[in-house]
Amino acid sequence: MAQDKLIIRDLCKRFGSREVLDKISFTVREGEFLTILGPSGCGKTTLLRLLMGLEQAEGGTIHKDGQDITHLAPSLRKMGMVFQNYALFSNMSVLGNVEYALKKTGRDKALARRTAIELIARVGLTEQINQKPATLSGGQQQRVAIARTLAMSPDVLLLDEPMSALDVDTRLALRSEIRSIQAEFGSTIIYITHDQEEAFAMSDRIMVMRQGSISQIDTPCNLMDQPADDYVRQFVIHNIQLKIDSLIRYAREEA
Amino acid sequence: MKGRIRIRLSQGLLLAFFALVVLLPLLGMFKEMAGLDVGALLTSRPFSSALRNSLAVTSVSTLISVSLAALLAWLTVRSRMRGKGFFVLLFTLPMLIPSISHGMGLVVLLGANGVLTNALGLRGHIYGFWGIVAGSVMYSFPLAFLMLSDVLRYEDSTPYEASDVLGIPKRFQFSSITLPYLRRPLISTVFAVFTLIIIDYGVPLMIGGQYKTLPVLMYQDVIGLLDFGKGSVIGLVLLTPALIAFLMDLFNREKAPLSFVTRDFQVRENPWRDLLAYLLSSLVGLVVVLPIGAFLLLTLVRKYPSDLSFSLDNIRRALQMNAGVNLLHSLIIALFTGLIGMALAFAAAYLTARTRGRLAKALHLASMTSLAIPGIVLGLSYVVFFKGTFIYGSLAILILVNLVHFFASPYLMIYNTLSKINGDLEDVGQTLGVGRLGIIRDVLIPQTRHTLAEMFTYFFVNAMMTISAVAFLATSATRPLSLMIPGLEAQMMLEGAAFISLVILSVNLLVKGLFGLAAKKREAYS
Repeated sequence: MAQDKLIIRDLCKRFGSREVLDKISFTVREGEFLTILGPSGCGKTTLLRLLMGLEQAEGGTIHKDGQDITHLAPSLRKMGMVFQNYALFSNMSVLGNVEYALKKTGRDKALARRTAIELIARVGLTEQINQKPATLSGGQQQRVAIARTLAMSPDVLLLDEPMSALDVDTRLALRSEIRSIQAEFGSTIIYITHDQEEAFAMSDRIMVMRQGSISQIDTPCNLMDQPADDYVRQFVIHNIQLKIDSLIRYAREEA
Repeated sequence: MKGRIRIRLSQGLLLAFFALVVLLPLLGMFKEMAGLDVGALLTSRPFSSALRNSLAVTSVSTLISVSLAALLAWLTVRSRMRGKGFFVLLFTLPMLIPSISHGMGLVVLLGANGVLTNALGLRGHIYGFWGIVAGSVMYSFPLAFLMLSDVLRYEDSTPYEASDVLGIPKRFQFSSITLPYLRRPLISTVFAVFTLIIIDYGVPLMIGGQYKTLPVLMYQDVIGLLDFGKGSVIGLVLLTPALIAFLMDLFNREKAPLSFVTRDFQVRENPWRDLLAYLLSSLVGLVVVLPIGAFLLLTLVRKYPSDLSFSLDNIRRALQMNAGVNLLHSLIIALFTGLIGMALAFAAAYLTARTRGRLAKALHLASMTSLAIPGIVLGLSYVVFFKGTFIYGSLAILILVNLVHFFASPYLMIYNTLSKINGDLEDVGQTLGVGRLGIIRDVLIPQTRHTLAEMFTYFFVNAMMTISAVAFLATSATRPLSLMIPGLEAQMMLEGAAFISLVILSVNLLVKGLFGLAAKKREAYS
C-alpha cells in the first residue's frame, strides 16, 4: 500500500455567505492519479486552488508528506498547477515560458536552459522551441503549460480541466501523454474534469463532488458497481451508460 | 495574504491621491462661492445670455459635427475608396492643434482681412454664432469621426446575413438592426461631442466677438477680473453637462452587449458610392488643410496682406517673445505628463482590471472622473486649492493638472487591454514562485507596450496643446507654448499665433509619427 501524500481534513471555504466547500476530508496516495469529477459550480476548482495555496481556507487543514502546509505560500509547497486556459506568457517563446521561473528563482542560468530544453523535448515541441504561443495549436500550448509546470519539479501536479478547450483527437493523445509523464516523473496527480469518460479512462480513483461536498471517492470499478447514492448513479453511471448505448446503436446501424 | 494587503494599500493610496487632486480642489472651489448671491448671479443678464448662447452654439455644432462624422465614417469604413489611410490621417489632424487655433484658422481664412475673404472678394463676416459653430465643428469632428468609425468597423455582419437568408427587406434591416446597434454608441458620441464643445473657450474666445459663451465668460471673470467666486459658479454650471455625459456613458458601458462571434463586412463593388466618398473626403480634407496652409502663409510673409514677400520676421518676433523658452516649458510638461501619466494610469488600471473587490471598483470610478471635469473648472479649482502652497506657480502643478485632466482616456485604454489578458497569469506566477511585480515587469508590460506607447502619446499631445486647465495656473516663468496663442491674439498678432500653432502641430505630428512608425516596425518584426 502506497503512502499518503496529501491528507485533507475538514476543509471549508466560503465566498461571502455562500458555502463553496463544506468540511471536505480525503486522502491522496503517493503516485496516485486522482480525478475530481463534478458539474460546474460544485467547488472542484476552488478545492484545487486551496490545495495549491491560491486561496485560503476558512477552516480545516492540508498535510503534505506529514507536514502542515495549510498556510504555506504556493511556491513553497512543491506543487505545480496547470490552468484551464493554459495562461502562457504570450510575449515569450516556448523556451522562454519554460525556463522563465527557473531563471527568476535563482537557478543557474545554463542549468535552467538545459532543463527547459529537455522538458520541451519530452513534450515533443523541440521544433517549436523558439515560437511564440500564439502560433501553436491548443494541444501544443497545453504541452508548453505542462512543461512549464514540470520545470519547477513539483511532486504533486494539479490539473484544472486541462483539456476542456481541445478537440477530441488531441484530448485522446494528451490523455496517454499525461499518464506517461506521470509514470516517468513519479508524480502524484490531481485532475479536474467534468467529463465522465475522461475520468474513467485516466484515473486510479475518482472523487465525485456535488455542491461543495464529496459524494463518493473510489476506483472506477467500485464506482460502477456500488454507487453511493442516486446522485452518483445519475451523474456518473447514467451518463456513461448513455454514451455506451449510443455507441451500440451506432454499431448496429452500421451493421 | 501579504500580497493582498499590499494591493489594498496601493488601492487606498491611489484613492487618497485622487481625493487630494480632484475632490478636495473641487470642494475648495465650491467654498469660494460662500457669501455670493448665486441666485442673482444665475439670473443676471450676462450669465443668462451666455448660457443661451452656449446651448444654441453647442446644439447646432453637435448636430452638424456628428452628422458629418457619421456620414464620413460610414463612407470610409464601408466603401472601397482609395487612399483611406491618408484621409483618416487628414481627418484626425485637427486633434493635434489647440481648439483656439481652429477659431484662429477661420479668422485667418474668412475674417475681415482673411486669405479667402481677400482672394474670393467675400463680404460679410464670420464672427459670432456661425463662426463659433464652424470652429467647433472643426474642433470636434475628429473625435466624432473616430468614435463612429470604430463602432462601424467592429459591427457584426452576421445579423445582416441572417436577415438576408430570411428574406427581410433592406429598409427594415436598417431600422431593426442598424439603428438599434448604433443607438448607444451614437448617444455616447453625441454626449462626448456636446461636452467637448460646451466647455471649450478657445474657439469662441477667438471668433465669438460679442457673442459670449459660458466658458468665455468664466475665462474673462477669472483671468481679467480675478473674480474666483463668479468663476466658480460658472464652473459648477459647466460641470453639469460633463457629469451627465459621464453618467450616461457609465450607464451605457455597463450594459454594453457582448457578441461572441462577429464577422467583418464584405464591402460590395459600387463605383458611385466610392466616388461620392472620395469627393466628400477630399472636400473635408481640404477644409482641414486650408487653415494650416494659411498659418504657413501668415508666418512666412512679411505682413499679410500688405507685403507678401518672404520673411522670417514673424518667427523672429515670436522667439523674442520667449516662444523658445515656452516651447521648452511645453516639452518638459508634456514629457513628464506623458511618463508619469503612463505609469500612474498603468498602476491604477492594474489595480482595477486585475484585482477584485470594493476598493477596485471605487478606484475604477475615481480614475474615470476626470472625464466629468472640464479643464477650466479643474484649473480654477487648483488655483483656489493650491494657492500659497509650494507647488503653486511651478511647472509641477501644470504637470499635475494635465495628468489629472487627461487621465481617464489613457486609463481606459490600458484598462481594456489589461482586462483582456489572461486572468490567471498572476496565479501562475505564484505557483512558480514569481511574484506579482515579476509578472508585471516580464509579462504584462511587454504585452501592453503598444497601449503604453499610445497612452504616452495621448498625454503628450494633449499636454502640448491644452489651453484649458493650465490657463489659470501658468505664470510667465512656466508658460506653455499653447498659452501664447490667446496672448498674441489679444495683441492682434495673428502671425505669431499662427506660427505657434504650426510649432505645436509639428511637435505633435513628430511624436505621433515616431510612435506610429515604431509600432509598425514592431508589427513587421513579429
